[in-house]
Amino acid sequence: MGKSRRKIQIVILIAVFIIGGYAIGTTLFAQNDNGQLRPGDKPPAFALADLDGNVFQLSDFEGKPVIVNFWGSFCEPCVREMPEFQRQYLKWQEKGLTVLAINLSEDTLTVQNFVKRFQLDYHILRDIGRKTERSYGLRSYPTTFFIRSDGRLMEAVVGGMSEEDIDKRVERLLEL
Amino acid sequence: MLVPENTKCECGHQNAVGTVLCESCGKPLLEELQKADTPLEMRYDGVARRSQKTNPSIIDRVWNFFSSVKIAIYLIIITFLTAMLGTIYPQENSFINNSEPWLYYEQTHGLPGKIYYALGLSRTYESWWFIGLLVMIGTSLVICSLDRVLPLYRALSKQQIRKHHQFLHRQKTVYRGEVEGNAGEWVDQFAAQLKRKGYTIHTDESGAAMLAEKNRFSRWGPYINHIGLILFLLAILARSIPGWQMDTYVTVPDGDTVEIQGTNYYVKSEKFTVDFYNDEELPDSLKGKPRPKNFETKAVLYQCVQDCSDPLKSPQLEEVTRHDIGVNSPLQYKGLKLFQFDFNLTPRLNAVHPVLVDKTTGDVYGPFDLPMKDSALVHKLGPFTLELYANYMEFALDSEGKPTTLSREPNAPAFVFTVKGPGLKPEGEPYMYFPMQKDKVRFSQDSINRALADRIEIRVDGMENVDFSEATTFLNVRMDKALSFLWVGGIISMIGLVMGTYWQHRRIWLRIDEGKLSLGAHSNKNFFGLRAEIAAALKKTGIEVEPKRLDNGGNNA
Amino acid sequence: MNLVDFSSDAFIAAFFLYCIAFMLYVISIAGRKWSNRDPVEHERKWSRIAFFFSSAGLAAHIVFFITRWIGSGQIPTSNMYEFLTFLGMAIMLAYTVIFFLYRKPLLGMFALPLTIIIVAYASVFPQEVQPLIPALKSIWLKIHVTFAALGEAFFAVGFAAGLMYLLRVIDFKDKSKSGRRAQFWVEFCLYSIMVVVGFIVAVFVFRGMGYEAQFTQEKVNIDAKGIATTLTETVHYTLPPIVQPYNSTVDHVGAFLNVNEPLFEAPSWMNGVNAGRKLNTVLWSIITGSLLYGLLRLLFRKPLGAVIHPALEGIDPDDLDEISYRAIAIGFPIFTLGALIFAMIWAEIAWGRFWGWDPKEVWALITWLFYSAYLHFRLSRGWQGLRSSWLAVIGFVIVLFTLVGVNLIIAGLHSYSGV
Repeated sequence: MGKSRRKIQIVILIAVFIIGGYAIGTTLFAQNDNGQLRPGDKPPAFALADLDGNVFQLSDFEGKPVIVNFWGSFCEPCVREMPEFQRQYLKWQEKGLTVLAINLSEDTLTVQNFVKRFQLDYHILRDIGRKTERSYGLRSYPTTFFIRSDGRLMEAVVGGMSEEDIDKRVERLLEL
Repeated sequence: MLVPENTKCECGHQNAVGTVLCESCGKPLLEELQKADTPLEMRYDGVARRSQKTNPSIIDRVWNFFSSVKIAIYLIIITFLTAMLGTIYPQENSFINNSEPWLYYEQTHGLPGKIYYALGLSRTYESWWFIGLLVMIGTSLVICSLDRVLPLYRALSKQQIRKHHQFLHRQKTVYRGEVEGNAGEWVDQFAAQLKRKGYTIHTDESGAAMLAEKNRFSRWGPYINHIGLILFLLAILARSIPGWQMDTYVTVPDGDTVEIQGTNYYVKSEKFTVDFYNDEELPDSLKGKPRPKNFETKAVLYQCVQDCSDPLKSPQLEEVTRHDIGVNSPLQYKGLKLFQFDFNLTPRLNAVHPVLVDKTTGDVYGPFDLPMKDSALVHKLGPFTLELYANYMEFALDSEGKPTTLSREPNAPAFVFTVKGPGLKPEGEPYMYFPMQKDKVRFSQDSINRALADRIEIRVDGMENVDFSEATTFLNVRMDKALSFLWVGGIISMIGLVMGTYWQHRRIWLRIDEGKLSLGAHSNKNFFGLRAEIAAALKKTGIEVEPKRLDNGGNNA
Repeated sequence: MNLVDFSSDAFIAAFFLYCIAFMLYVISIAGRKWSNRDPVEHERKWSRIAFFFSSAGLAAHIVFFITRWIGSGQIPTSNMYEFLTFLGMAIMLAYTVIFFLYRKPLLGMFALPLTIIIVAYASVFPQEVQPLIPALKSIWLKIHVTFAALGEAFFAVGFAAGLMYLLRVIDFKDKSKSGRRAQFWVEFCLYSIMVVVGFIVAVFVFRGMGYEAQFTQEKVNIDAKGIATTLTETVHYTLPPIVQPYNSTVDHVGAFLNVNEPLFEAPSWMNGVNAGRKLNTVLWSIITGSLLYGLLRLLFRKPLGAVIHPALEGIDPDDLDEISYRAIAIGFPIFTLGALIFAMIWAEIAWGRFWGWDPKEVWALITWLFYSAYLHFRLSRGWQGLRSSWLAVIGFVIVLFTLVGVNLIIAGLHSYSGV
């Protein structure tokens, strides 16, 4: 052995250090298993169509602040906050704010009737088979994701919001 | 210990520093050990296990730390003690849907629960310190084994036959006596007996010294076991490599095809069935309670071949396999496994095929197809036209009295049609239709529709015109690429364990000097069996001795 | 008469044969000092008869097992009653194996009462055949349970030999501090065994009397949304209530010793499934066990350890140490295979995960780690004999907790019924 012994020792200790470090590291930096997004995360990509068949991707709006709002006609707080988003959208539209309102996989007629009723100018996208909703780890509705222009999540808000709530956050979103 | 010592034995053999018993003749090398007359420690045959240095470097220190069996035992003890802590309250991962575990611990277990959560014990087995302990055990497994198996291998592969008297007389199993007649003949006679018991015999050139040995392979058992365990631990670790492991759930109502998240696969449940035990099959205490006997999902697995993520087109699926998923019988396809997890027997309405009745003439038109979701917007029925104006999955009136839906599941579906036809206003008249009888009554369909209710009726004739899913199955989708390594590790480990515990390495040394027989024997376990074997062999050569008399005291290591 | 009924008779026969065998072992040991006989010859003769009876008991037990299997159409290891009777049978098998290795019949004096207690304890649980739920219908489950139980049975024999070793070597006249401590803990072991016996006695006495009490318990549940729901449950007692469940009202309580209401209420943190009833059962076990222990102390007027100690003179302690070690070494691979590897295979097939950190699994792992520590300790100087006998005793306590304690205290996937 002699010299080769020392070499073997060093190789084994380095291997232990790397493998063990990896094992402990994965526990420390593990995402919470419940799959929810946290501030600073990159939100999952999606490609969804609006009622007219135009396809939008999240990456289309790179470099711009984006609000991703999940809504359904069956969810009263969602319905109540839609006009508030409309006003906020008009207010901040020129500063580059984009609002993507993703419907929770309802059928065409329901969405059409709903949009007709509220006269909404921002993009209404339609999820299919709850795919996008799941990838965002949604648990209750409405949930709104404020995404900074660098593509990172600033905040995820669960529950209905007043215009003031939205306004405060959009200001923070645009200041960056 | 660290003082440079004379490691040259009187037999002329040069031993490594740290050697306890001369590697050649077996004489104790340490002076205090030479003076005592207690049985010798035969662990690792008394060879030097690790290099002893006067000035150990950090590497030596770390190495020596993990090379200690005592440290290994401490690690094992700490591990099982902390594992105990993790069983006090349920772990977080035992809840499937609990986004606020801290609330659970505080509300269910009060202050102790709160502390339990705060200390991170609710995730004991994923915590950095628990994994850290496992890593240290793994390290210890590698280093301990390596430091022992190599010297042991060397010691066992070059054994001296003629041993020192001190070595023989201070074994745990010893016999000393007189041998009459020719020493060589006696040894041959004795050796023949041992051979029958499976010993390999080595005699030296004089014929008056002998080494009988059997089951040496059992000495490698613990090390093989350790290799298996290391492989097992590495396989567990490999599961954290992205893409090696997956664990999600899918909810599939009868007849639906659902995408498996994160894969290119879709699963369809053709039918879910559950059987319950009937009362005759149950003992009294369980009668009247539903006790499932068997449940199964007729599942079909599809792979998406085209238009997989195009939101404007529906994906094109190709069947890859089908299987009736039972509780102990998952669907398996290329490492993907679908397990029966749970079920729900609430039926779900999918579509109805109603007819339109003209009440004035008695004519019946239809039936037409009316799915709950994404129905055609215009239905032509004889002279009538139904234009779908709105639909609701779970009809209700909101706080302002406007119609709304409470969910996206067809729990109380409602359709609003604009009806055009003979005798009706040219712009059409609204007609509200509830497919479910209970809703018809609850929301008084006829009074909503007023006069039109006397002119026409939309109704379903018979159950054959109702299409519904009887049950919903919950499947657990899993993938685990490390699994085969895991089983291999387990098998190797078991082989090592069995080798090491069910066989014992037995050695018998003897030498005859001027008619005086000195016999010493060693076994790594089960001295009882060794004594019995020696006594039986001695008896055949005419030496009667009680097995127990061979015991020289000392430890049953 | 169907097969299941026949098997119950075989079970009773086995139980009585074990009891007779135990008494014969006691005669073979205690009778050595009787007048006009050769002690060695006496022991040889009587222990041979005793072994014959214990083997006959085992044979009857196996008949019970097989007929129940055929009669019910499923292997009788699926509820607590069946599992514990199987464990009792496995201990007898392990004892027989060790007997043929070492020809030391006196081990039976400790292995038999252990089997008797476990079998009697099994009888506390409902004995009816319960049809299997789908998850339990798997060949791997059968292999897993039988191997695990067999491994544990060898640990039990290791425990019996370890306890014998302690009773054999601990000097009950030693007045030193360490001597007294050793005496105390051995006595504590014997007392704990009496508590288990006390539990069995209490359950059967009150069952024989047809005792019953019933409470209505209100439980407040707060769900994920923070909405409180109140759940009403009826709790049945088969032992007179010393404590009643937390937040409960008395429905009816049978009078016992003219007391017809509970003395205390369980504290609020004891809110697990049937926690109040379990606490009550524990209290009764301690009371009955203490009474039994006290009676024996009064009878012999010295610690029980000191009563048994002289009977074991003449047995070589080294042999006991060796037997204990050997039994554990034989049991360890079987346990590894049954309780860990086969369990993982089954879990993989049934749930798609080979390991889920379910409390029962964790405790099986703890047992395994403990015995692997034991096997490594045996390699170290100074850990043979006394210390390793203590470890064998502690190890079996862990085994028992894994088998029974986890089910009674921590609920999990392996829930069997409790008393």
